[in-house]
Amino acid sequence: MIENRPWLTFASHATLLTGIALVALPVWMALVASTHPASAFGVGHIPLWFGDAGAETWGTVLFEKAGNGVDTPVWFMMLNSLIMALGITFGKIAISLLSAYAIVFFRFPFRNLCFWIIFMTLMLPVEVRIVPTYEVVANLDLLNSYTGLTLPLIASATATFLFRQCFLSIPGELVEAARMDGAGPWRFFFDILLPLSRTNIAALFVILFIYGWNQYLWPLLITTDDAYYTLVMSIKRMLSVTDGDIAWNQIMATTLLAMLPPVAVVIGMQKLFVKGLVDSEK
Amino acid sequence: MTDVILEKVGKAYPNGYHAIPSVDLSIEEGEFIVLVGPSGCGKSTLLRMVAGLESISTGELRIRGERMNEKEPAERDIAMVFQNYALYPHMSVYDNMAYGLKNRGMAKNLIEEKVSDVAAMLGLTELLQRKPRQLSGGQRQRVAMGRAMVRDPKVFLFDEPLSNLDAKLRVQMRVEIRQLQRKLGTTTLYVTHDQVEAMTLADRLVVLNKGKAEQIGTPMDLYNKPATPFVAAFIGSPSMNLIDANLTEQGIKISGALTLPLSHQHRGGIVWGIRPEHLEVSDEQNADFALRIQAVESLGAETLIHGKIETESGNGEPIVVRLSGPHLPDVNSLMWLTAPVSHWHLFDAKTQQRL
Repeated sequence: MIENRPWLTFASHATLLTGIALVALPVWMALVASTHPASAFGVGHIPLWFGDAGAETWGTVLFEKAGNGVDTPVWFMMLNSLIMALGITFGKIAISLLSAYAIVFFRFPFRNLCFWIIFMTLMLPVEVRIVPTYEVVANLDLLNSYTGLTLPLIASATATFLFRQCFLSIPGELVEAARMDGAGPWRFFFDILLPLSRTNIAALFVILFIYGWNQYLWPLLITTDDAYYTLVMSIKRMLSVTDGDIAWNQIMATTLLAMLPPVAVVIGMQKLFVKGLVDSEK
Repeated sequence: MTDVILEKVGKAYPNGYHAIPSVDLSIEEGEFIVLVGPSGCGKSTLLRMVAGLESISTGELRIRGERMNEKEPAERDIAMVFQNYALYPHMSVYDNMAYGLKNRGMAKNLIEEKVSDVAAMLGLTELLQRKPRQLSGGQRQRVAMGRAMVRDPKVFLFDEPLSNLDAKLRVQMRVEIRQLQRKLGTTTLYVTHDQVEAMTLADRLVVLNKGKAEQIGTPMDLYNKPATPFVAAFIGSPSMNLIDANLTEQGIKISGALTLPLSHQHRGGIVWGIRPEHLEVSDEQNADFALRIQAVESLGAETLIHGKIETESGNGEPIVVRLSGPHLPDVNSLMWLTAPVSHWHLFDAKTQQRL
């Protein structure tokens, strides 16, 4: 039956539009704010339409310096963030693929125990173990380095669990057929398993990239050198100016720039992402 | 030349369960052997032991004289067709067939030649670039067979390859498999639970029951001279009428009242059997017994009549009769039957062996 109730259509559209407006409003405000000179905010009212200082603010922030006591340009911090986010993402995917491969396809003693121990680390995110982790990283002399930024965040129970579920759904006959075809463990992994978990990898990539990009506490803790500052943590630093006015226009521009890469990843990989979560073609 | 030898091959699981106590079988080169039995009889396990997917607990497996127990599946020079085809879903038909050859390090042009040869033989040439999910069940089945054939193995192993196809296609593929096997002359081991498939395909049949080979022989051997009541019931459709009886000096006593005259030195409990197609309709004077008809199945070319041997107490043994052509007797009426002695099968009730 096809429903034809104009009021229902109207109501549902209205709800959706309100929702979009609610979500988009802060982004809109930030965009508008970044186009006014810093002084426009001291007056007490918030402008709702574009000003004329946009190009200048964005240019300075992106290429010269972010301002408010942060002297590195945004593009450089973006690069740092990107290195960290990609390092975390690829590291997590690689480690989880391998550990899930071991847990699902190999018979070794205490296999299930291993899995549950990995699974239990879900209860230990960085925030919980931050002091001991800092200690370890400091003792290893990894403060102020890309390794220190990424390595402690790489182990992932979630991704391991996801890949385990994905591998468990691969029929046993396929594994046996590969064995008959003379595929050893490595060949099986690269020729069969990886292509079959392609969509899962893509879905995880999106989630993990955003996770890595948005890391705040950890980079704040272990970097003291401008050369390793990431974008997300720098926004906070830009807010803690002790003397003088806060240049809101620069902060807004930086914030919007910080949003772009995750948005790009989500939009670019949307199709694969949905496929990875929904599809079970095996 | 003897190609494959299973010598006292057995399978025991770590929990102590003996899935297969001991099976002896020697297969000639080019022979088509069908392992048949009800589900859970160990036929798939036996096949997987030959394939190398299950370890062999006891005994020895030799292919062309070489001991295979410890060899990896890929080193045994065998190829297997799985029940669900087990095609690699992300590879094209061509890649599916070429994968095993690639792993053996065969030259690219040689692979191409082999794959296209086999594809032509199976009528897959048009489909080489497709993915498995774009194929029908029968085509997938053919790709699975092609994948086995390109490797030119010493032995083909089939694990219920037709059970996922619809009835019509199954008959067609059955004929095709038989023709291909004849043409290639490759020794074949084929597992099925379908006795029609088994009878039509096999050079020799192995009937398995609870991990034991009940009988090994040609389909006609097994049909004409089943060694045990189990084989008698399993081979032939509808299955043989088997009735517990007593062999005495007067003959065979069935259902208390009925006695079929026979002089035989054996005495005591036996199983008396006759196939539904060997029972004959006769008049009242010459009949061996009367059948109280309970149900009639008319299939056009033949008619199956289900009934009970008519006795005074009314609880005679159930019997199926198979008559050619259409017949329409009334349910609950009596039908007079003779059971020709030449078609009787007698088994010892204790040892379950043929007398």
